[in-house]
Amino acid sequence: MSTASEVTVGAVAYHPRVVTIWESFRDYFRGLGVPTDYVLYSNYERLVRAVLEGSVEIGWNTNTAFVSLERELGAEAQILGMRDIDAEFATVIVTRRDQTFEEVGELARKRLALGSRDSGHAAILPLYYLEEQDLPAGSLELIRFDTDIGKHGDTGDSELKVVQAVAEGEAEAGALGDATWARFRTEGLPAAAELEVSWRSPTYYHCNFTALPSFDPELAARWQEALLRMSFDDPSMRNAMTLEGVRRWLPGDRSGYASLELAMQREAAAAG
Amino acid sequence: MRSASPHRLDAEKLEFGGGLEVLLQATLTGLQTNQLLDVAVASRAAALEMPGWARLHGHEVVDELDRGAAGCVIRIRRGEGQRVLGERLADRHEPPPIRPGGVFHSADMRDEAGIPDDVDPEVGFVPIGAVAEQGAPRFDWRLHRRDEVWAPEVASLAEQASGEQWDASHDVPWEAARDLPEPLERAVAQVMTFIAQNEYAALYVPAGFLPQMHPSFAELVMWLSSHVNDEARHIEVFTKRALIGGFEGYAMASTEISLHSLLAEHDFTASALLLNVLGEGTFLDLLRFVERYAPDAATATAARLAHRDERRHVHFGISHVRHVLADDPEQRAMLVHSAERRAAKLTEMSLSPLLTEGLTVMAAGSLSPRALGEGAEAVRHLMRTMERNRIRRLRSAGFDAVEAQLISDLHTPNLM
Repeated sequence: MSTASEVTVGAVAYHPRVVTIWESFRDYFRGLGVPTDYVLYSNYERLVRAVLEGSVEIGWNTNTAFVSLERELGAEAQILGMRDIDAEFATVIVTRRDQTFEEVGELARKRLALGSRDSGHAAILPLYYLEEQDLPAGSLELIRFDTDIGKHGDTGDSELKVVQAVAEGEAEAGALGDATWARFRTEGLPAAAELEVSWRSPTYYHCNFTALPSFDPELAARWQEALLRMSFDDPSMRNAMTLEGVRRWLPGDRSGYASLELAMQREAAAAG
Repeated sequence: MRSASPHRLDAEKLEFGGGLEVLLQATLTGLQTNQLLDVAVASRAAALEMPGWARLHGHEVVDELDRGAAGCVIRIRRGEGQRVLGERLADRHEPPPIRPGGVFHSADMRDEAGIPDDVDPEVGFVPIGAVAEQGAPRFDWRLHRRDEVWAPEVASLAEQASGEQWDASHDVPWEAARDLPEPLERAVAQVMTFIAQNEYAALYVPAGFLPQMHPSFAELVMWLSSHVNDEARHIEVFTKRALIGGFEGYAMASTEISLHSLLAEHDFTASALLLNVLGEGTFLDLLRFVERYAPDAATATAARLAHRDERRHVHFGISHVRHVLADDPEQRAMLVHSAERRAAKLTEMSLSPLLTEGLTVMAAGSLSPRALGEGAEAVRHLMRTMERNRIRRLRSAGFDAVEAQLISDLHTPNLM
């Protein structure tokens, strides 16, 4: 149960390892005198709602969840931190090695595989950036893999399906996060072997820790300071940090979400 | 601190997934935090994948210097942090010797002086010479003090064990065991069943210590594993010999009582005394007897091969107990007490008549009265030999004459 001095962080349980991560983080914050507990939600919509209603003080949000939260809030939220991997995030488009392209215009009328429709990096932003380069969604044949809706692409399952679809010729090209792609490469995913990156998007930010403007700034500062002190060279934290995909926590800022805000505005407008 | 002149790496036509990541890791590992590395790649795809790869591994692409027909040069800043949370690996040093004939002997893996007296019981599976990474799970090895488990010859014994493996299916002339006369085959089946029954205990005792052994004592781990493996083969060969003649024997309760009390001993050294020195030591004489009086070549071969293994086990036991007594004379009383404690649990006064009779018939070769008389004498002689050799082994392990006699007298009539 949350106590007066305890910070409660909400996160989405996209995998059982989330429990391992947050059990470790909870001990870590407690050890630094900033008692922190966590609450897990099954999807980001519930997490955003929980932050807005004050059930948790901080939400560990995807970029999509963060933009949705601010839109509902109608004001700027506090950003308390993000992973090193969340800065300079990008989307890549992969093709088979014999079907690479130089300009995105070459994708017109081709089949483009996309990840879950609520994934910023594997669905929303690729369409946005292609449209920015005069390639609107209507000029493409979209093949969507809407798995794990509500998890905003965290599970990586839809991106795996994107890669498999391109490898098997169900699509000429596929969009996914560059970090996910690098991970597939590192792990030696067989489907990735015959593919290569033909295009890389401008960079944007991904996840962040979000709090409402009303969250006690002094407590926010202490919590952030503890977060930023977490070290990948600390043997007791390396496992949890590896599972979370972070080597270094960064303070985070607002500069990396403009493209997604615009993209989500466009989507909302198109949906009427 | 940032290096003024970046290191350069020409990756030629390498791609990610095709070796580029290996070359990058090897190069970046040798750089300091924040040092710059200019990587020339021929492939546009490799250049496009570089930022994602770098970020995933804690580095950063800071610039793309040139993108022409010949490829491009990507500037990477090495990130902070170690890949492995451990001491830096040492430079090349003097490797262990290789013996004549190209043999890398187990006793040469390290100097005995380098074996620590007491190892952190929480440290896990770190092979000899390896550097442990921090952050590994914590274990709780019970046997972590060298002198509790050590025997000076253990590495050589483990080496011998792996060189003397045999195959119970193929190395025994099984055809020779067919069609013995019934009284003789019944006797052999009973003796073989008794030995197989005992070999189970000889397996379960070292197997029980194996998961308690600190992995730092690799020689002990190898030794106990070979011990377990030997006993598995002994169970196999004596079970097969019992079966091959078409008769069955009894697994006797008196034997079980004795073996049960052996498994109840949880002290490593007391167990080495009771099992290796006393039990298997006594079995050496039994196996010699079986080999000598075997009515067929299969039985003789099984006994001879098992004897070769048991000799190593006894050697270990004597060597270990001697090491412990030399190191800590107070262990003497503890070991005598362990023999007394076990004896208190034993209810049999003498060797099971079924076994005595079986051995007698084996030695006699038939049920003729004259032969049985000679067989009985051979068994009495065996019992005297067993006692004499038991005392000799105890003396060799470091007990004085009085202690040796006492411990021998307390030894189970079941032999093991």
